[in-house]
Amino acid sequence: MTRFLTREAAIRWAPLLVLIALVILFTAINPDFFAQRNFARIAIAAAPALMVAIGVTFIIVMGSIDLSMEGAVSLTAVLFCFAFLWLGGTLAAGGWLAIPLALIVGGLIGLINGLVHVKLRIPSFMASLAMGFVGTGAAVLITGGDIVRIEDDTFRALLTWRIAGFPLMVYVVVILAFLAWFIQNHTTLGRNFYAVGGGEELAHASGLNVRRVRITGFVLAGVFYAIAGMLQVAKLGQAESVTGANFMFISITSVVVGGVALWGGIGGVWNTVVGVLIVNVINNGMVVIGLPDYVQDGMLGLLVILAVVLSTDRRNISFVK
Amino acid sequence: MYELKAVDKKFPGVHALKAVDFQVKRGEIVGLVGENGAGKSTLMKVIYGAYQPDGGTITIDGKTVRFQNPRQAMEKGIGMVFQEQSLISNLTVMENIFLGYEAQFVRLGVINWKAMAEAARKQLAKVKLDIDPATVTASLSFAQRQLVELAKVLTLEERVDGDLVILLDEPTSVLAEDEVKMLFRIVRDLTARASFIFVSHRMDEVMELSDRIYVMKDGAVVDVVNRGGATVEQIQHKMVGRNVDREYYREQRQKPYDDSRQLVKLEDVGLPGRISDISLTLHPGEVLCLVGTEGSGREAILRTIYGMRTPVTGHVTMKGARIERFTPQAAVAKGVGYVPRERKVEGIVAGMNVYENMTLSQMGHFSNAGVLRVGEERKLARDWIGKLSIKAHSEYADCGNLSGGNQQKVVLAKWRSGGSDIMLLDHPTRGLDIGAKEDVYEMIRDMCDDGVGVILVADTLEEAIGLSHTIIVLKDGRIQKRFDCEPGKKPSLYDLLHAMI
Amino acid sequence: MDIQRLKPHFPWITLLVLVIFVGLNDPNFLKPANLLSLAGDIVPLFIMALGLTFAIYIGGIDLSAQSMANMITVVASVYLASLGIWVALLCVAIGFALGMLSGFITTRLFVPSFISTLAVGGLCFSMAQWLSGNRALNMDAAERDALFGWMIGRTGIIPNELFLAVALLAICLFIERRTTLGRALKAVGAGELAAAASGVNVARFKMLAFAISGALAAVAGLLFAVKLSGGAPTIANGFLLPAIVAVLVGGTPLTGGVGGVLNTAIGTLIVAVIRASMLYFGVEATQQQMVFGLVLIAAIALTMDRSKLRTVK
Repeated sequence: MTRFLTREAAIRWAPLLVLIALVILFTAINPDFFAQRNFARIAIAAAPALMVAIGVTFIIVMGSIDLSMEGAVSLTAVLFCFAFLWLGGTLAAGGWLAIPLALIVGGLIGLINGLVHVKLRIPSFMASLAMGFVGTGAAVLITGGDIVRIEDDTFRALLTWRIAGFPLMVYVVVILAFLAWFIQNHTTLGRNFYAVGGGEELAHASGLNVRRVRITGFVLAGVFYAIAGMLQVAKLGQAESVTGANFMFISITSVVVGGVALWGGIGGVWNTVVGVLIVNVINNGMVVIGLPDYVQDGMLGLLVILAVVLSTDRRNISFVK
Repeated sequence: MYELKAVDKKFPGVHALKAVDFQVKRGEIVGLVGENGAGKSTLMKVIYGAYQPDGGTITIDGKTVRFQNPRQAMEKGIGMVFQEQSLISNLTVMENIFLGYEAQFVRLGVINWKAMAEAARKQLAKVKLDIDPATVTASLSFAQRQLVELAKVLTLEERVDGDLVILLDEPTSVLAEDEVKMLFRIVRDLTARASFIFVSHRMDEVMELSDRIYVMKDGAVVDVVNRGGATVEQIQHKMVGRNVDREYYREQRQKPYDDSRQLVKLEDVGLPGRISDISLTLHPGEVLCLVGTEGSGREAILRTIYGMRTPVTGHVTMKGARIERFTPQAAVAKGVGYVPRERKVEGIVAGMNVYENMTLSQMGHFSNAGVLRVGEERKLARDWIGKLSIKAHSEYADCGNLSGGNQQKVVLAKWRSGGSDIMLLDHPTRGLDIGAKEDVYEMIRDMCDDGVGVILVADTLEEAIGLSHTIIVLKDGRIQKRFDCEPGKKPSLYDLLHAMI
Repeated sequence: MDIQRLKPHFPWITLLVLVIFVGLNDPNFLKPANLLSLAGDIVPLFIMALGLTFAIYIGGIDLSAQSMANMITVVASVYLASLGIWVALLCVAIGFALGMLSGFITTRLFVPSFISTLAVGGLCFSMAQWLSGNRALNMDAAERDALFGWMIGRTGIIPNELFLAVALLAICLFIERRTTLGRALKAVGAGELAAAASGVNVARFKMLAFAISGALAAVAGLLFAVKLSGGAPTIANGFLLPAIVAVLVGGTPLTGGVGGVLNTAIGTLIVAVIRASMLYFGVEATQQQMVFGLVLIAAIALTMDRSKLRTVK
């Protein structure tokens, strides 16, 4: 029994231990790393990324993949900005209406994604990749390649208003992470993601409407991408067709580093939170300890491999693809 | 009360069900037997709603019903207990039990875990299983999973008014003897709550449990036998259309092995947590059978010899040479062939054709500097298709589309054509129908005649006794007893069971 | 007519239909010279996709291809002067070695290829930045023309790139159909556990698949460098996803074991025709990406043989 416990525990806590080890490592090299200001910096960088990663976590838990995040984030960010400006340009003057609007758009992107994937029986990799093109393309079309700015102080308070040193958006993200965890563990939908990821055919045979669960999963992911899009706007004060660029690989990397299995059914929101923190700590740490620019991408790669190697349960894997 | 009348089902090129009449009475246990391909699984799928029949009617208490999917069937009280692994292993027991029916525990979108656990305990009590409903399914034993499976289906009792019909598909295939007995006891107790349809390859079990037995052949019901109305041989005769005689295991072809040479020798081999102090010797022409329950170490021994596991203690000698590096490649080079239990996963590559499968283990013999001589490969495949009368339209047939028996023949041909003389057979007849089983037995005897040594993990104890020269009984990873099995002096079932438990 | 038997032929039927469709709209499109130059332009993408096919064929993926090509443009530009024609060998060797590294990380360290190749891609990017000092580099034009001019000229109306493409396709097709390597890769893609249980050295063959992918990405990079007469760490960006799309549209699914390099040739052409057709239909630049995405969904829905997939993930 003790053997069982230690092994289970080791697998469960490995990503967190990797995170702690990284923090200790960077602090040892440069004590400035371990400062509240720096943590705030990491948190701001991680906030939109975490929303994207949580969105895609639901999909990966189902054993599918979603690569539409770049297009979805760009499109929702751009539409949010336009709606916000059109509705008066400030939160107080009706701009707040743009928030539910963006969420709906995100959900719609996810819905189309899910419908194309499920109804046309196109693997999610391709369906979502193509939808990502469409999303980015739509963002290009709407903006005509321009940048849309938002200068409402109330909305930008998400970044500028700090409580205990951390900007408001960090708290928003923490609350949303809890919400995601709650969905995952305490709602039928969340548990059904695990059922589909653990054994789709069995779930179907048990009378579960697998197709509906899939589609709903993509909708949920789309809503989280929309949140990420709005946070990006709050962070940068602007939106354009490349607002969502670079989210795809980094978010999936984070999810996997946190210990969510790409083949589905294993891991969850907390893994993703830890994974996103690992990736962002690595990114930030490399700057703080003063590594030259050009080393950073390679270094990130090596550290990510190290993190995955340390946090996977090798005994249960016969092979990986 | 549940009745099928003249149900027909056609697939492109196959008439899978031909006017099948089938009836289940309240509280009855109905057996369903037939060879592979006789239409059993199609019939089951029609019953639990996965297939829609092309003709005929399904009635429950005289009312005609039609199911679009398994869920609609469930709502009418038809439940299905699948073979071993049909619970989702990363979910908890209670989640599995109520999968798809969580709504009853949801308030304002939130699952009430306490209520679900409570309800799950009630279901588990029906099958007399005392475990925490929050246990993750992966950590249960096979027998426990089977009972959870049953408990899951029994939730229909609360959901559906009217009677339940529960299908049991090969529920005993991974259970040990005592577990089977326990399962049967529980099923009999449950006839107060439901009727059962019991499908199994193991004829003795079907005879023991069922009130009536439907015998299927070529998509039609050829006979309905009442309890005690026929012997095992008579039913088998009806299934196959010919007698299964006493020469089933080809005992008359069993010849003494050559004990002057040793093919494989294990000395005090151990793998922590799996096997310890295993010593055995395999000679040319010998069938050595490993007998024991699931997890007794049979598979670990096979996999060690095949080089998939490296022993921590002891050593392995093959044909006089000590093995230092344990890899399948090294084992294959030494002449070892491995017929795994999971035929579809490890035995054949579905999507590759017959000759590609046959030469997979010996591509070096058919290539110059990495370039394949496809002509020779095809010739080899044609030869073996003829030799083993494999039913494939040509050497280009996709192995994934062959029947189980023919797939197994391809796997055996793969090793035999490469000249393997140490054969490791793990449940080589699992899931095969009687005709195909006999072919495999015949091939085992052929191999022995050619001086091949066979280490066998048999599907049943009868098979082990019938085929082997030597039986080694394992328990908890250790050798309990060794039996010599010359024809006429074979140990009895009781001897083996006694040593196993 | 049995639709199931037609399914494997859908990719090239789709290609044909697309070509005719665009041709009807503008007959100029169908002129041999135009079609040939269209094909010639797509060659770097094709070579990259060819390599990716091997990674995808075994059920993996190679996300380092684009960074690899980027780095190789830099390597080629930097070492052309000192190594001369041998720089080609250096490039392919680097690609092969780094692909091998991806394969090693995937098979021996159990890191999914999605992550391992992405990481190796990061490594490539770092090396490219370091080697180039983060600048765009130029090749000596005279030297380039003398040594590699044969790659990019024309013979009659046929662009020379096409000869290179056809030669590589022939080699890859031979590997796939006629060698133990190809057979082993098919077995790994279709049933890895069965291949392992047949005594195939799965890890070695998987590493080789990634190595081939890396080597071909390097060839693509070299061709880029020659065409553009220079190199930079981001010069080939935007090629990775179209290359993956080309493989998948051609009919090699991500699950592996089916399809192959010939499919990729057709897939690449489909992508090329879709791209080119937007010019002929006068789709505006701002709309092109969106239209591309939509047409892509349609193309996949048409070409992909899903009859053998039990579940679609």
